[in-house]
Amino acid sequence: MDKITLEVLRSGKKRTSYELKYRKGMTVLDALVEVREKQDSSLAYRHSCRMGICGSCGMNIQGVPRLACQTQVSTLGKETVKVEPLHGMRVIRDLVVDIDPFLTMHTSVKPYLIRENPSERDNSDREYRVLSEEVGRFLQFDFCIMCGLCYSACPTIALDPDYLGPQAIAQAYRYMADPRDEGWEERVELLDRPHGVWRCHVAGSCSFVCPKDVDPAKAIQLARVEVLKKRFLRKKPRAGSPLVSLVPVVAPKQGTKAPPFDFRKGEAK
Amino acid sequence: MAREHYSLMKESWSMLLTYVTALVLVFVLTIHLLLESPLTGLPLDATLSFGFATGNLIYFKVVFGLLLYAAVIHGISGLRVIALEWLHPRKRTWLLNLLAVALTGFFLALGTYTLVAVA
Amino acid sequence: MTKNPRFRSGLLASLVPFGFNVERWSYVLHRASGVILIGYLAAHLFETFQLSMGQGAWANTMATLHSLGPLEMVGLWIVAGSALYHGANGIRLVLNEMFGMLMGRPIMPVYPYSPTSLGRNQKLAVWATTAVVLVLWLWAGLYLLAGLGVV
Repeated sequence: MDKITLEVLRSGKKRTSYELKYRKGMTVLDALVEVREKQDSSLAYRHSCRMGICGSCGMNIQGVPRLACQTQVSTLGKETVKVEPLHGMRVIRDLVVDIDPFLTMHTSVKPYLIRENPSERDNSDREYRVLSEEVGRFLQFDFCIMCGLCYSACPTIALDPDYLGPQAIAQAYRYMADPRDEGWEERVELLDRPHGVWRCHVAGSCSFVCPKDVDPAKAIQLARVEVLKKRFLRKKPRAGSPLVSLVPVVAPKQGTKAPPFDFRKGEAK
Repeated sequence: MAREHYSLMKESWSMLLTYVTALVLVFVLTIHLLLESPLTGLPLDATLSFGFATGNLIYFKVVFGLLLYAAVIHGISGLRVIALEWLHPRKRTWLLNLLAVALTGFFLALGTYTLVAVA
Repeated sequence: MTKNPRFRSGLLASLVPFGFNVERWSYVLHRASGVILIGYLAAHLFETFQLSMGQGAWANTMATLHSLGPLEMVGLWIVAGSALYHGANGIRLVLNEMFGMLMGRPIMPVYPYSPTSLGRNQKLAVWATTAVVLVLWLWAGLYLLAGLGVV
């Protein structure tokens, strides 16, 4: 492939084509940067890290939401690359979309550790202990970079702007599965609403497009099971599970070496 | 995020009803279809005769009763979900729920009358 | 201030599965079959209501339906397919949604990524239900077409 044509739907209205010389390893973001530098400096798009960690460059490429920095032009298999703003969001300009509704849904599920005793935050010389098998229950969902691709891909979001969205529900489950969290009941109430967890119909597109394998579809179904357990099995929340305890951090005396810390036992030898 | 207004029951109850009626329907609808056609060994025209149709309703009243209630509840619940997503009525969600209940009542009444009247 | 609606949103946008995973196609078919079945349910309840009005009313109803000609059987065949698909796929969805089955467990993601919720078990369930539905639909079609004197 010598040349490629980048067809950008600017602001969701005007389709503008840019011809570029293809370079091996060229990503869609590389192409956009080249267009902006050499052909059209008015082209607006978001980008930052260019290595798939910030989540800024989400856009619709060949009909599917992807990260531009992670999408090699060669893998698309066509010489014409069609780029559009992310679907399901308002367009601010060119390829830049309004992600406020997405972020609002995220904050609405309280994506932080909730403890019954908030004064524990003030005791910074202590820490919560989490066993590695407990981490395994939520770590996958912790890799979310909030790129918005799942939100854009979700067919329910396309229809219902009040739906929480896969990212928010996945994050709600991430904290429900966290043994340190004591806000399980609160989150169940947030999810068990007309536009909450029940509006997912397992289309799976969120997991299909996720660049970090957070697998929000899985998190949503696991969250549903938690809601059903509360409502129908009358499951009680974990309250100060014995495994979740405050571990005193042993501070070394002046001029001495710190004793070795056994992570398995959580105690200084 | 839209404010959630008071409703008679949590959304999870509505969904549990949908799931339970779905499982009941799979079973009962299979019986219904088998009763109407293939198991009888009769051609389709014969199974649509007045005598055959009323006979089924009389002898398998329980099956048809279950089918009626499960189908109407499952169907209207699904329609309500589509309407909720498509129209996202927000402050008027109560109206949508009321319409759903009214439609369910209407079709259940219609079907129940048929079941009772055909004796 | 000009209205700025969400880009590519709405009913049609939600029903476009092109470029996505097979489970997205299942979602579209499940929704479409559900809508067909609701319409048929309403019509069928009114139709069977005629049984309570006597033999004459029933005969009129049947005559009206038969006047549609081959469309009657084609319509019934579409309804049969909808019921089969909606039921079979519905069982898969109940397993997914109510019990969290076929989703896999939380894992440590390793590149190249492959979400477990769209993994082997889920794909097996999707294609198995599709195969069963197609076979039964064909059988239903033959039965209905026999009524037309075609088979």
